Amino acid sequence: MTRSLAVTLNALGLYAIALVLLVAFAAQLVLHELPCPLCLLQRIQFAMLAVGPILNLRFGPRTSHYAVSLFTALAGATFAARQILLHVMPGDPGYGSALLGYHYYSWAFLGFAAAIVALGAMLLFDEQFREVDEPRPINAFARRAVWLVLALTLLNVISTLLECGFAACSDNPVAYELLNSRP
Amino acid sequence: MEFTALFLAVAIVMVVAWWGTRTLALALFAATLLVSIATYLHHASDVLKLSF
Repeated sequence: MTRSLAVTLNALGLYAIALVLLVAFAAQLVLHELPCPLCLLQRIQFAMLAVGPILNLRFGPRTSHYAVSLFTALAGATFAARQILLHVMPGDPGYGSALLGYHYYSWAFLGFAAAIVALGAMLLFDEQFREVDEPRPINAFARRAVWLVLALTLLNVISTLLECGFAACSDNPVAYELLNSRP
Repeated sequence: MEFTALFLAVAIVMVVAWWGTRTLALALFAATLLVSIATYLHHASDVLKLSF
């Protein structure tokens, strides 16, 4: 795998992360379901997954940048697994709505597992880590991916502030604390 | 409040990774990851009703 192909795949990874954050937002706004604390932690881990690809786009692919994403994906999978275990007993309806038969935390676990597999696959290709004399300019496709993920993360800052206010977030939130109304 | 702070911290890490130095971005990333794990451990207080 060439260095430029690896950079393109990292940009595509950022778009995939943006899609996950967008779907989570859509569920929150369309289905009027506020994310619980564990759900928010999983969203935070999805946003943190973007740090590795951003470093790869800016400084070129390095194993340490993929390690950053691997640690994040492992933490995210652990958080999602914890929520799956909380609702795994027969008769437990689970938290929130199911999307295509699975709750969001089940999808989150699958997403983090897929990220771990993808990162392992990327690390198989040594050619991308070869040093180049001249740094290549970052193209618009990659720049847009970074801006998109950053904008969605900042929107989550606002959304979480509205939901939780300035106190501890409710275990089962049903209204935006700062708006003092149902979603 | 802690989740708002964590999202803000992630956004700051992204900004530093894109415009700042690599070392600072990695250090901020490590700090944010540790705080998010600490937040998880703080909230993971419910007993899992499981038997194997």
